[in-house]
Amino acid sequence: MSEKIINNIKSKLVIKRTGNIKHNVFRGATYLLMLDMAFVFLFPFLYMVVTSIKSNKDLYDFTVNWVPRTIEFKNYILAYKALEYPRFFKNSFIMTTVTTIGHLLSCSFIGYGFARYNFSGKKILFSLVILSLIIPVQTIIVPQYIIFSNLKWLNTYLPMIVPTFFGYGLKGGLFIFIFRQFYLGLPTALEDAAKIDGCGFLRTYWNIVLPIAKSAFMVTVVLSIVWHWNDFYEPSIYINLPKLTMLPSRLNAIIAMVNTPPEEILAEVGHAEVESAINNAVLMAGTFLVTLPVLTSFAFLQKQFMQGIERTGIVE
Amino acid sequence: MKKSFKITGEKRHRLEGLIFVSPFIIGTLIFFIFPLFVSIKLSFGKLKKMEGFVIEWLGLDNYIRAFILDTSFIPMFLQVIRKTIVQVPLIIVFSILLAMLINKNIKFKGLFRTIFFIPFLLGMGDVMNQLLGLGIDKHVFSFVESNLLPREFLVYLGPKVVEAVESFFGIIVVVLWSSGVQILLFLSGLQSIPVSLYESAKVDGATEWEMFWKITLPMISPIMLLTIVYTIIASFTDISNPILAYIQSNAFRSLRFEYAAAIGWVYFLFIILLVSLVFILLGNHIYTTSELKGGAKNERKDY
Repeated sequence: MSEKIINNIKSKLVIKRTGNIKHNVFRGATYLLMLDMAFVFLFPFLYMVVTSIKSNKDLYDFTVNWVPRTIEFKNYILAYKALEYPRFFKNSFIMTTVTTIGHLLSCSFIGYGFARYNFSGKKILFSLVILSLIIPVQTIIVPQYIIFSNLKWLNTYLPMIVPTFFGYGLKGGLFIFIFRQFYLGLPTALEDAAKIDGCGFLRTYWNIVLPIAKSAFMVTVVLSIVWHWNDFYEPSIYINLPKLTMLPSRLNAIIAMVNTPPEEILAEVGHAEVESAINNAVLMAGTFLVTLPVLTSFAFLQKQFMQGIERTGIVE
Repeated sequence: MKKSFKITGEKRHRLEGLIFVSPFIIGTLIFFIFPLFVSIKLSFGKLKKMEGFVIEWLGLDNYIRAFILDTSFIPMFLQVIRKTIVQVPLIIVFSILLAMLINKNIKFKGLFRTIFFIPFLLGMGDVMNQLLGLGIDKHVFSFVESNLLPREFLVYLGPKVVEAVESFFGIIVVVLWSSGVQILLFLSGLQSIPVSLYESAKVDGATEWEMFWKITLPMISPIMLLTIVYTIIASFTDISNPILAYIQSNAFRSLRFEYAAAIGWVYFLFIILLVSLVFILLGNHIYTTSELKGGAKNERKDY
């Protein structure tokens, strides 16, 4: 009897061990695959950073791949000057901040209406939300342009900013959708309690609902910042005064500099060296400077954003 | 205050709802319905005066021009369609796989998630354009090649094969870089699947492979639909899309607003057609939340 039991346990142990080996091999393969993938995904970033600190000599030396021989911080100074960083950073910063605030205020508000209330025409309105997502901006950009030009809004940030306060603007429909999904998954108990205590509906929304909607806000903040910062299409149409352009489109200035170096830098560096001073390394330093604000804000919001993605229940 | 005292609870409820969505109603009228209406009118006519939108009716002239007279529009259009048909399925497959990988119980899960999101942060706008301008998609390939595939082997197969392999890798790399949002969407879908389903399947002796097809895929089918639609739209409104540049140059450089509007509508109708095709084809395979939860909820059907 006891022998049987022992044998039984032994055979189980053997199974477990082989299972472990199989499991470990599988696990190792998974990690390897993940590392490969991580490399591909990190590549643009790594390439940008590494190239941005290369000297001219390293740039054309094929033996230098990932580790530059010398670190050239001069690239960053040149790129900073060429971008006229402070001024255009301010432009992009103002635009991104105001549009993101607009999306947060309007989309959380509208999404709440769609999630909690029943009224006639709700289905039609919500299908308009989806339609506004599907329709490419280009289809209606011409009349929009004419409207804004009649309002004398060209060469201001208003054509980008004002629609965000009405649930439109860059992918506004998506944010309404995200907030609606979030509120749908939220239990109504708190709001009911507030209503019974005689709290008005707007106050209930402001004091009870908004504070617990943090995860939906985090998702919207990150997506809205990234999309607005990198947006090139609408600004390129509504703004043609060079001093009002956004920071990312200033990268073209560096490219222009690579082709025809401006006088001040010629005077500073000297004719002979100018060609080696302004190159792709400077361009990459510029791209890094341009993306830096987005990268830092993501680094700060990263944890809440990922949690938000899990909790908003976009699927549900 | 006296007035609101009189209205019944149900009416009040409706009114409150309307107040919440009122910004959207205003926005829709100004920024959506009105431009949409003008744009349709514009595509069938000629703009006489900017102020007041005086438009002369011309009939199908602009559309005829797009399909028959303009020799560059149709080839450009076909090129965009071809690119979309290649890229969308690849993006979907890769992002499901990657989402499943980072959903597994592994170390540095958070780190990998962040890494997969980095190309999205760089954006598909000006920054990525500069990077692609330096040919980094080819750089990735040359790195892979020098480590995995010996150059001699490829040369032996002939230049056509080299080119094919190179462009294949180029596409894959761009596909991977543009699937950040999709990975997140699938990840959130995967995490909403109750673990108990997998546990009971395991007890019944199901393999991983079976569980993927019988549990994971049906459970994420609603998010799949959402992601496919999102990907199609993203690919049609991408920066590298020549049609968009064409519309822009027609409207704002040659000042042919009417023609640009007509092309825009052809383009939009095609997207709608494609999206509804996806809905029809996949609609039968989608497990709605109501079905999964026993028919009590009916939220999914709205869209």
